[in-house]
Amino acid sequence: MALRIQRVPSDNLAGGIAARLIAIVLALAVAAAVFAFTGADLGKLGGHVVKSTFSNFGMQDVGLILTPLILTGLAVMIALKVGAWNIGAEGQFCAGAFAASGVALFVPGPTVVILPLMFVAGALGGMIWILIPTLARAYADVSELITTLLLNFVGILLVYYVATGPWLDSSGFSFASTKRLPHDIPALWGDVHWGLPIAVIITIAVAAVLNFTRWGYEVRIAGSNPNAARYAAIPFRRHLIVVMLLSGAIAGLAGMLEAVGTAHRLQGGISNNFGYIGIMVAVLARGSAIGVIAGALLMTLILKSGLALQTQGVSVATVLAITGLILFFTAIGDELSHYRIVRTKNEPQEA
Amino acid sequence: MNVMLNAEETVASGSAIQPIVLLRGIAKYFPGVIANQDVDFDLVPGEIHALLGENGAGKSTLMNILTGIYRPDMGEIVIDGTPVTLASPVEAIAAGIGMVHQHFKLVKAFTVAENIHLGWKDTPRRTSRAVLEARTAELAASLNLQVKPGARISDLSTGEQQRVEILRVLSRKARVLILDEPTAVLTPAEAAELFKALRQFVARGNAVIFISHKLDEVLEISDRVTVLRGGRKVTTRRTAECDKRMLARLMVGQEVVLGNMRTRRADARPVSEQPVLSLHQVSARDDLGNMALKDVSLQLRAGEILGIAGVAGNGQKELSQVLTGVRPLASGRLEVCGEDLSARSAREFAAFGVGHIPEDRLQSGLAPALSVTDNAVIREYGKAPLSKGWFYRPSAATALARSIAQTASVAVPDFGMPVRNLSGGNQQRLVARREMRIASQVLVAAYPCRGLDVGAINAMMHYFTELRDAGVGVVFVSEELDELCKLSDRIAVMFHGEIMGVVDTADVDIEAIGLMMGGQRRLAAEPAGN
Repeated sequence: MALRIQRVPSDNLAGGIAARLIAIVLALAVAAAVFAFTGADLGKLGGHVVKSTFSNFGMQDVGLILTPLILTGLAVMIALKVGAWNIGAEGQFCAGAFAASGVALFVPGPTVVILPLMFVAGALGGMIWILIPTLARAYADVSELITTLLLNFVGILLVYYVATGPWLDSSGFSFASTKRLPHDIPALWGDVHWGLPIAVIITIAVAAVLNFTRWGYEVRIAGSNPNAARYAAIPFRRHLIVVMLLSGAIAGLAGMLEAVGTAHRLQGGISNNFGYIGIMVAVLARGSAIGVIAGALLMTLILKSGLALQTQGVSVATVLAITGLILFFTAIGDELSHYRIVRTKNEPQEA
Repeated sequence: MNVMLNAEETVASGSAIQPIVLLRGIAKYFPGVIANQDVDFDLVPGEIHALLGENGAGKSTLMNILTGIYRPDMGEIVIDGTPVTLASPVEAIAAGIGMVHQHFKLVKAFTVAENIHLGWKDTPRRTSRAVLEARTAELAASLNLQVKPGARISDLSTGEQQRVEILRVLSRKARVLILDEPTAVLTPAEAAELFKALRQFVARGNAVIFISHKLDEVLEISDRVTVLRGGRKVTTRRTAECDKRMLARLMVGQEVVLGNMRTRRADARPVSEQPVLSLHQVSARDDLGNMALKDVSLQLRAGEILGIAGVAGNGQKELSQVLTGVRPLASGRLEVCGEDLSARSAREFAAFGVGHIPEDRLQSGLAPALSVTDNAVIREYGKAPLSKGWFYRPSAATALARSIAQTASVAVPDFGMPVRNLSGGNQQRLVARREMRIASQVLVAAYPCRGLDVGAINAMMHYFTELRDAGVGVVFVSEELDELCKLSDRIAVMFHGEIMGVVDTADVDIEAIGLMMGGQRRLAAEPAGN
């Protein structure tokens, strides 16, 4: 008799959730050990984090951070469905914020007309930002990983340029921001606006389309194995283009909601790493659109706790290190949840 | 020219001429497979020794043992009279054994001189381009191999690249040169050039092992020939004593089990008069743009199994793709049930009742990471009851997957689990059953039994006879002659993208098939079928 480690054919839900919870607990334990080593008062820090996160204002912050993260996570996730890595949600986010702000600032009209126009502009902005990487991938097999990533810097700098230059608030109170946009997304609760339910509805809609339409099935096959798509005459290239553009549009929409609903202006650094964190959300979601909401919530709580720790004098670097630890442990936990230890006789068992 | 030596004498006396390489009782096992068993082999200075065998006969394993890539499970390697252990390719090279692989291991962006000097301990530490090129030119001159030291590999023809590869091996002072199917990539003129260089090389007291399945060139170039079959050595003969017929028989083996599966059930549908599928002078290109099918004409009747024989890589893959609409025709015409489908998509072929078990199920027949359900319904997801308008019903898909798994007798614990977690045999049963559902006219099966265990192979074979008896035309591509003979009514043999001939299995002549696999065209052009 011997103990062997065996890979389990399918990952079960309970095991996956348990692995994640253990991962988070372990990461927090490691973080706590580091804090204890530096002589911090763990109880006080923890109490502060819980108090500030679950207060009224804390929950409003959670809602505001959650909104863009759901959408950027969804953008990355849906591109992965067709086998593409959209590392450029950050840039598409900026492009969407830029386009929507432009409409708000320069197109006159009543909010009821301009607001839908801004939605369209935000989505279009993101779509245009991913257009070149999409075509380059589809027709010349240029890695979208590189092209989408590089366009992030262009997008971020574009926003800085207009916010500090041509569109700079002329009142003189700010130096990297436009004036307050003349239209708002209606508020839902405190500072939390209708962007949050919209993001959730879009996510559910995407999940439904992927799971309950023929198109969704074809995208799954094409993304998982282009050769199998060719074998079954599923048009891989067409699906790749459509899904990547959709991914850009969703990320652009996230930028629009952030600029119009949350910041109420276009300002330098508006993307605030939401695009990059969206990649982590998508990885945590493991290909499930509904998982994106859970993953975004987890990331939001981590970010919010980080902000709370920063007010207590914990450095940004430490907060980032803890974030990294949680993701690191989660990834290991994910993999380990596929294994179990079994007792066997000595001869190896082959399936 | 030929160095006439009797192997047995040499080994027995040990005094006449000592073999450079002596392999004794080599065995190598992989899980479930005997790759080599009881193989004796000797190589004497001055000879070109051909290693002949079908795919999977154990040639590559044996050479991988000799070049230190594998360790033998049994037996010993003796070099220059001393038993050695070759733990890595580096040690094999140090012992003077070098191999030129079928796929060259050159850096395309580097020049010839740079490739020659890459990873070589004799390369001067501080050097310049001019020095490297001069050294290369000198080497090439001394070994009588013409290369252009300053040229980039990517600009060279395949024959020139091969010379660079050989020069690289010889520059490491190799006395034994192993060539794996060296002429597969060469034009006849380049091959003649290569043979000349090899003769000069062995004339200096070195030796060459020449792996091939082409009978003509084995007869032309080698002094002795060793035939492997099923991992065991069949014989070693002096080439002068051999002829093509005899070698073909030795390579393919005589013990081919004929018969039983070709007998039809009493209620089987008769073979049709008109072909259900026909190719008229079809040509097609492979993925690299080379002509992989040349003027192929074939006819398949409903209710028959047409075997496609040949050494892998002679156009069978492209043929099966053309037959199923996956690969476009470069020229010619393809008809199914009298309808011209030459320019139609794979989807239309499927709609016409053409099923397809592709060559590599994991690479093209399945999406390994997706669920069993997703994979089971790839042919029918667009039809009722799985789809209605734009909508797709996962529950109906799972129901279909369940019924396919049931007919395939595959136990699936969870239809949501990735299909790659099933065993190879079960994956293939699922693919086969999935394709049989749509194959109302034709089923094209490319190497359906490759890598499967006996039980799964048997299941596959019975699937095909079941289809045949139901009046479906089956194209069965395989490199296993006994499988082909067991199952097919007729066998077409492919070589270099062409059909060498079509024979009736009933009066099959294994030697004739062996000859055609080696590139000889069937002399009496036979009317297809009959």
